[in-house]
Amino acid sequence: MISRVPVLLIALTLLWCDPLIPRSQAQQAQALTSAVQVIGIVGVNEKTKGTLSLVNKALRFSHAKGNADVDAASIEDVVTGRDSQRVIGGTLGTVTQIAAPFGSGRILSLFRTKLDTLTIKYRDANGGLHGVIFTVPLGKAEIIKQELIARGAQTSIPTQADPNKTKSDTKEKKP
Amino acid sequence: MRLNFRNAVALSLLIALSLAGPLARAQEKQPAKIKASAIQVMMIRADEVTIPAEFQVSLYEQLINQLQKKGVFQHVYRDGDRTAATASDLIALQCTVAGFKKGSETMRQVTTVGGATSITLLCQFRNQAGASLLDRKIEGKVRFFGGNLKATYDFAKKAANVAEENFSPTAGGD
Repeated sequence: MISRVPVLLIALTLLWCDPLIPRSQAQQAQALTSAVQVIGIVGVNEKTKGTLSLVNKALRFSHAKGNADVDAASIEDVVTGRDSQRVIGGTLGTVTQIAAPFGSGRILSLFRTKLDTLTIKYRDANGGLHGVIFTVPLGKAEIIKQELIARGAQTSIPTQADPNKTKSDTKEKKP
Repeated sequence: MRLNFRNAVALSLLIALSLAGPLARAQEKQPAKIKASAIQVMMIRADEVTIPAEFQVSLYEQLINQLQKKGVFQHVYRDGDRTAATASDLIALQCTVAGFKKGSETMRQVTTVGGATSITLLCQFRNQAGASLLDRKIEGKVRFFGGNLKATYDFAKKAANVAEENFSPTAGGD
């Protein structure tokens, strides 16, 4: 006769582990965010809406007519809109709010959806260079960038780097 | 009566000559097109002027799209494409950013006069030996409607037109 206590323990363990099983399977296709492909994916029209996800070691853009995969290892550069702003030293739309008459710029900004850009450069099988631009909800671009770097993608602007500081350092070194 | 006839003949001759002059000059102005059946578009360089990464990529992709749409060249190769090595009459196009002014879409919508985005590039068409075939400064602008990246589309269309005017798959042909 089987003791009831071990059976109960096994059953409880299985019940406890049950929610973990689908989660580990989901890591194969990790949905990241909704996105709009502005330009760059071959065979996909400009401004196509879809979703970005990570499937194994590739970035997948899923849209109404199919999927497009970019292998993370083939990515030579991944840059977010915020990275570009840090390098160029732009301001976040404050100029328009000041310059627009009767505060209309401020009203317009309320209706504008806050978006970030994700720019990727990668090589195809023949060595041809491709560039892709996605717009994603604000804050999502940096997450995707980090996920891609973890899977072998490269970047010209590391997240923690302060380009202004680097520039001043190089200036000081000059005789 | 005879005088009137003479006047009419002289007048018609004058008109014919005045029309023929500009036409002949226009024909003289059109140089023979350079033979090129394939083009390799190199990634946009931004050595002295810093531009956002999205502008650099958009310029490159729009340029490839517009050159493919024009159909001037039988093949449009990308930067680094190894298959381009086998192409005959291949030319390379290298564009370098010479000037950039990032405007604002909101400013354009609100003021209609301010906020224009403009980007100027020096486009160099070179042969396989690296000799310069044609150098042109081309400007892309967005003045009234559309996002800032529309300036890259404007530039690409103008650059494709320059390619169409100056290159042909057949020697000296149209």
